[in-house]
Amino acid sequence: MSDSPLIRTSGDNEAPRQNGYAGRGRGEQQQNDGDDGDGAFGPADLQDDEGDPSLRREIRSKYRDLINSVQQNREDMLSPSNNKLTEVLEQANKLFKDVRQAREAALDAQLLVVATDLGKEKASQLFVEGTAFDPTAFAEHLLSFMGLNRLEDGEDADAWHRVARKAECCFSTAPSFHYMMGSFHAEPPPPKQRIERQRKAPTKEAKRIMPTQLKKMEESHQEATEKEVERVLGHLKRYYQDDPESPIYYYEFVIDPNSFSRTVENIFHTSFLIRDGWARMYLDSAKLPCIAPVEEGEVEAGGSTSRKQCIISISPKTWKELIDAFDIRDAMIHPNTQH
Amino acid sequence: MTQRRRLSNTQNSPQSRQQPGTLMAQEEDDDSTFTQPSTSQVQRGLEKLTPAQVEQKTAEVVQYFLVKDQKKIPIRRADLVKHVVKDYRNIYPEIIKRAERTFDQVFGLKLVEIDTKSHSYILINKMEPVVGASIINPTNPKMGLLFVILSIIFMKGGLVRENLIWSTLKKLRVDPGEKHEEFGDVRKVVTDEFVRQRYLEYVRIPHTEPVEHEFRWGQRADKEVSKAKILEFMGQLHEQDPQSWSQQYREAHSTPSSSQASTSSQR
Repeated sequence: MSDSPLIRTSGDNEAPRQNGYAGRGRGEQQQNDGDDGDGAFGPADLQDDEGDPSLRREIRSKYRDLINSVQQNREDMLSPSNNKLTEVLEQANKLFKDVRQAREAALDAQLLVVATDLGKEKASQLFVEGTAFDPTAFAEHLLSFMGLNRLEDGEDADAWHRVARKAECCFSTAPSFHYMMGSFHAEPPPPKQRIERQRKAPTKEAKRIMPTQLKKMEESHQEATEKEVERVLGHLKRYYQDDPESPIYYYEFVIDPNSFSRTVENIFHTSFLIRDGWARMYLDSAKLPCIAPVEEGEVEAGGSTSRKQCIISISPKTWKELIDAFDIRDAMIHPNTQH
Repeated sequence: MTQRRRLSNTQNSPQSRQQPGTLMAQEEDDDSTFTQPSTSQVQRGLEKLTPAQVEQKTAEVVQYFLVKDQKKIPIRRADLVKHVVKDYRNIYPEIIKRAERTFDQVFGLKLVEIDTKSHSYILINKMEPVVGASIINPTNPKMGLLFVILSIIFMKGGLVRENLIWSTLKKLRVDPGEKHEEFGDVRKVVTDEFVRQRYLEYVRIPHTEPVEHEFRWGQRADKEVSKAKILEFMGQLHEQDPQSWSQQYREAHSTPSSSQASTSSQR
């Protein structure tokens, strides 16, 4: 509470009188304290005002708004052409009438700090001998000097060079020294730095890639192939179960008459079935290759003993010939619609 | 090299066991406390060297200064001694004297010790700036930026809050928060490059929340930049008599500006 006279007088914008008031105010206050002690303000009075939390909050919020507005409009308030600082202080004076708690007083003090600071700068503007320097006017003159239009946003590549040329007359900078034959770097980048940069780059890359890699695990190439292989096996088993007696011709099975590339894919996926022993191939009486799934029990028995490898080649030409020869109209392995 | 020499020293002559210690002490002195040798020491040192050797070392020092000056960052005596002067440190004053003479008479430059504490040097031009010289030498737009900042500081009485600088630059379409096509990272150029070159001083204002800084002229600016000429330009811009800024006018003409200083003779 002892702050109050000081703060209240802060509203006065005439400095000398302000000091006078402040001194007198404090004197009076001290006298009061001496005479009546703390009883000068009845505890009941205080309680009444303090009891209304919404009023307290409102005061604090108003103080904060005021402080913010001073901080944000600093340049505006500094301009000698307006009275905004006085207005702010008058507002603060009104607010202070309802100040009862330390928190509010602290905010008032904070505003005082900001306002004093602003006042100091304003004073430095006003009391300069002769003409005061106005940076805003300076900036505007400089813009026209640079050949920039104040209202348009256009860029002039030469603008800063124009200032620099003018600046050179005011600087007695030693011209910097250059070798005539080629360039010479006074300080070649130390090799240490280079090593660091190289080391850093891949770790960053790795960090960035890691999570995406994990997310895409399911759809990674390996997984996609395995899924396809299983799908192909499913088809093969279904055809076999539908009619276990008639042989499934390998070429009929793998060829997709509508797409050469899917045919190649089918051959690729089927080869996994053979390699892993899920399917077997044999030649029928007409020496045509046939394919059949291997029964569950046989998987083990088939074993590695009788495995053979061969390479199948297929070209669009042979693909067409095969379609004609087997009279294939539909693909036995339906294209995956998921993709 | 010195280590090996030291080792062989101890191996060859057990009596000179003291020597390695003194050598090492001298080595460490390079950075922190290089003591200027006395005149008699220099005299004795010179007697042991041929004039050609001293000339050669002086030429090396001159070249070092010229190359280092490209970046306009003051050159520290410690670096000079460590990288160039080396074993000739006992005649250091003589070498510097000769280098100064060379800069003065051959290059028209002046070697100035700007900081007697850290012993750093800068080179400044002794010649009057020639109007139109920039047609030959390409201008550095950063000098324009620096010029504007120095002008504001000077016109505002030598000490300016950073906010004023940033807001004025914004009016000139230079936003410290954005990358400028000419200057790049403006904030870094102003608060780092110009500060390291000693054109500006950027000091924190105590007891401010949030943290605020203020700018003033750096040591290099004091030596290099003519306040009178800045004021003259201000007069041109504002179409005002430079004398109407009486305070600034008095300051510009009371302190010997660099152009005046350059005409005075050296020691």
